Amino acid sequence: MNQFIELLISGLSLGFVYALVALGFVMIFAATRVVNFAYGSILLFGAYVVARTHDNLGFGLAVIAGMAAAALLAALIQLIILRRLRGASLDTLAIVTIGVDILLATELTRRIGDKVFNIGDPWRDHVVHFGDFSVPQARVAAAVVAILVLVAFLAVHRWSDWGIAMRSAADDGEAAALMGIRLGRVATAAWAVAGALAALGGVFFTTFPTPGVDAGVGLGALSAFPAAILGGLDSTAGAVVGGIIVGLTESLSAHYISFDFSKSAVFLVMLVVLVLRPSGLFGTKELTRV
Amino acid sequence: MSDTLTEAPPQAPARPWAKIVGTVVLLVVLLLLPVLVGSQVAYLKLAQYVLIGAVGGIGLTLIVGQAGQLSLAHPFFLLLGAVSYAVLAGDPAETPDLVSLHWPPLLAVIGAVVICGLVGLAFAPVAGRVRGIYLGVASLSLVFLGLWLGQSLGILTGGTGSGRPPPTFSLFGFPFSNTTPAPTIAGVAIQKQQRLWYLFLAFAVLAYVLARGAVRGRIGRAWRAVRDNEAAAAAMGVSVARIKAGAFTISSAYAGLAGVMTALWLDLVKPDENEFTGNYSLTVSIAFLAIVIIGGLGSVPGAVVGAMIVYGLQQFFLLGANEFGWFADAQFGGLSAVILAAFIYGLAVVLVVLFEPGGAAAIGRRLAASLSRKEQR
Amino acid sequence: MIRGRSKAIAAGALALVLAACGSTADTGAGATGAGGIKTDKGVTDTTISLGIMGDTSGVFKNLGAAINAGNQLWVDDVNAKGGICNRQLKLEVVDHGYKADTAKTLYPQLEPKVLGIVQLLGSPVLAALKQNLIDDNMTAAPASWSSQILNNPNIMMIGTTYDLEIVNGMAYLQQQGLIKDGDTVGHIYIDGEYGGNGLLGSKYYAGVHKLNVKEAKITSTDNDLTNIVTGFKGDGVKAIVLTTTPGQSASALAANQALGLNVPVLGNNPTFDPALLKTPAAGALGNLYVAASSAPFSSETPKAAEIAAAYKAKYPGSPLNGGVDVGYVEGLVWQSVLTKACENKDLSRPGVQTALKSLTSVKTDDLVATLDYSSPGSPPTRGVYIAKVDAKAEGGLTEVAPLFTAPDAAGYKAPFQK
Repeated sequence: MNQFIELLISGLSLGFVYALVALGFVMIFAATRVVNFAYGSILLFGAYVVARTHDNLGFGLAVIAGMAAAALLAALIQLIILRRLRGASLDTLAIVTIGVDILLATELTRRIGDKVFNIGDPWRDHVVHFGDFSVPQARVAAAVVAILVLVAFLAVHRWSDWGIAMRSAADDGEAAALMGIRLGRVATAAWAVAGALAALGGVFFTTFPTPGVDAGVGLGALSAFPAAILGGLDSTAGAVVGGIIVGLTESLSAHYISFDFSKSAVFLVMLVVLVLRPSGLFGTKELTRV
Repeated sequence: MSDTLTEAPPQAPARPWAKIVGTVVLLVVLLLLPVLVGSQVAYLKLAQYVLIGAVGGIGLTLIVGQAGQLSLAHPFFLLLGAVSYAVLAGDPAETPDLVSLHWPPLLAVIGAVVICGLVGLAFAPVAGRVRGIYLGVASLSLVFLGLWLGQSLGILTGGTGSGRPPPTFSLFGFPFSNTTPAPTIAGVAIQKQQRLWYLFLAFAVLAYVLARGAVRGRIGRAWRAVRDNEAAAAAMGVSVARIKAGAFTISSAYAGLAGVMTALWLDLVKPDENEFTGNYSLTVSIAFLAIVIIGGLGSVPGAVVGAMIVYGLQQFFLLGANEFGWFADAQFGGLSAVILAAFIYGLAVVLVVLFEPGGAAAIGRRLAASLSRKEQR
Repeated sequence: MIRGRSKAIAAGALALVLAACGSTADTGAGATGAGGIKTDKGVTDTTISLGIMGDTSGVFKNLGAAINAGNQLWVDDVNAKGGICNRQLKLEVVDHGYKADTAKTLYPQLEPKVLGIVQLLGSPVLAALKQNLIDDNMTAAPASWSSQILNNPNIMMIGTTYDLEIVNGMAYLQQQGLIKDGDTVGHIYIDGEYGGNGLLGSKYYAGVHKLNVKEAKITSTDNDLTNIVTGFKGDGVKAIVLTTTPGQSASALAANQALGLNVPVLGNNPTFDPALLKTPAAGALGNLYVAASSAPFSSETPKAAEIAAAYKAKYPGSPLNGGVDVGYVEGLVWQSVLTKACENKDLSRPGVQTALKSLTSVKTDDLVATLDYSSPGSPPTRGVYIAKVDAKAEGGLTEVAPLFTAPDAAGYKAPFQK
């Protein structure tokens, strides 16, 4: 039983980080209908910036720098490449992000090589003890920050002008434009925020007990894909639920089945959900018109 | 997918014999490649490698470009094809603790292709429920499944430690390995690598011709109807489920053949150690998608061009680096051959989608059209 | 599609091709060079060329660069003393980036230029080239140490194998009182040739000492092993064995500390990289013991110290890790082989094989234990060094036990041992 609870704690804390990353992914899709294959590389870029600047700026400022840099990168991608493709099919948009991902990942791998960088967080290797259980401080911080950001985000999304603009743009772009909403601005803003979220997620992927920022971090973010998808690509609530499901699936299957099956387990859960609900748990069904 | 379409076959060009002479010259060059290459066998290995990309690429362009079903599962079928060949043709005397059925190699190749087709068929119903990009991501799960099965089913795959050796291919007693004495063409010994070249060429030509036939025929029209507007196609009486099933079957069969070729090329059947590097990994998924996009979605000759760029460039740069010292400063993190090649094809994907969605195929058609216009003046 | 006239052209071309066909005559092997010595590809009257198929641009480039440097330092030393068999040594370097595909294409370029291969890095590369080595009778010293590759007659293993590293390491832990008969130990290993081989060692030792081994299989890109260590804690392990990459070791060690488990951790040679001392897990590395067949960089064994000094002088700023010792000792063993082949007046590839199999005690100034190549299939040596992580030592490791072979290691039967 003890073990089960420890696995639960471990799965949940990572699950909130996955939720954060999945949320950024969903934001991009909701605002611009693009499945962003370059997301993992943007995440790695953000974490890399934090890792390289924390010596000079201190951790807090470095995180802000990383989030800003990733936001800028994401916005640039949207402005330079995706804007030109307005009106193109979903698959085309997704495919071009694959090309961008190849470029980004190659450059980042070239710079990082086989080095491992310390992300420079203040929690280091300290551990929090709850009775019999211990959790790394960094993971507790991750969960707390993730929950705060999620709540703040959902509040903004629901009640602020900007959030309403985003939601209407996602629901019906033409009507929103007719009502005076600047679609271009909404799209770029969405990408920028998603970039910042990715960087934040990247920071939490690379604290203790992982080795740090290495060239494989972007790939680790791959688990956020199924999280976003099984939650429903255009549902922010779905992203949160999806992230938690993925985190729990990973930790529980790693122990009760086998560690190497846990990645397949995550994708298989996603596959099962997709087959039963093709648009994800909370996504909107697409209508087809002849 | 409808904005990167390949229409019905183009009009006959104004000067058909230019095209035919070109084809013949190409055929002669391909047949005589071992002679042209001589002792620089490395270039022959490169050419074989490009053909593997071409065969797999043709299969993917049929399903993604013609039938409009996004599939990222190619590496799974490559692995399945390679393992099936090894299991079917394996010699129990050589690999006593692995399943080996000792079929004749040609039959084993056919068997491997059929097995892959059937498994692809089994996955097709998912395409009925899940569409578009969701289907692409769903197909990714096959790659992970393949990784896990490859590791677990050691008695079939040989395990990730040392894998298993692929049985030597032979045709009616003529082995595709080194022999003494060996036949020669113009003084160049036709040994294992040269024989494999001819085998791969035969596979590739067969794959090409069949694919072209499918694209131009009824099955191609049905695919494009489903791709362009599924509901309309159904309303017109096309059995959408059957068409999708057919597309998956054929494309997985092609991938299976590419897998057999991979096994023969590498002299090794070995499941990958992780999902990102290796012959059956996500990186390969993306590489094949890049081949198809650069070549032009749905274009069979385009897939061949795409394979030359994506599969050929990297190896070509590496040969140059080792032979002529290109990229000599790539000691600790500089620009190496592998990195430069990746930059080029990543950039190619972005540029193609932005500026010429029809890919190399569209560029080729435009060139041909402008050439025939020039003559008419 | 193809009209009648062009069919004729194609047929004509085919006919030409067929007409040019013939058959190779039986050519004899090797020629005879200066001094009446039989030679082969890669050997002239004045030079002997050896090949390197290494990794200086891929995942192991830090290690690969150091091994290449070690090979070169050896060549420089030998040439300064007059070479071997009155011939100067020359290296042909190829970089495959740890990809089997690229190694496969590059090999035919290298093969005609060299007599043998002084360094072949990477188990996937070795697996892909296995048949090529056999077909060309090319002897190669692999920079990978699984006993599963000992069934390839053309490799020259330098040092002991991963399974024996673990057997010796566990014997050391038991001798230090850190584990005892009947304990439970956990073993995290990468599924593949490296990890699988390490596991053979721990299972053998467990069988002899009635230990209970909890296995955890991972892939080479997994980088968060917390869940596994959590499971180990629940199982009550008294030690953890690692056959993993450095990054993964860091994660396991970090979890070991974070969860309050704090048991001793034993790793194979490749489990540690000095770069880990700069990661968040740096504080948790103190529990790691490394069992390796070659000396750590900071070892005080005289030859190792000499090589370290020469390396820093010739390649300032290059990464400091045990690879340079690996490269140098690869060279030393080749030196013994070539010297013997020269005595036999046969520097051809078959001659190299004959010389190799006749060597029963190759000494390497204690860089690795004495090597015996007369029983193919059996590891040529069984001794290891034990080192512990030390942030103040160069290369990050400090030696805690000099070269030794545990009695259990002497009794272990490797998979292809006869």
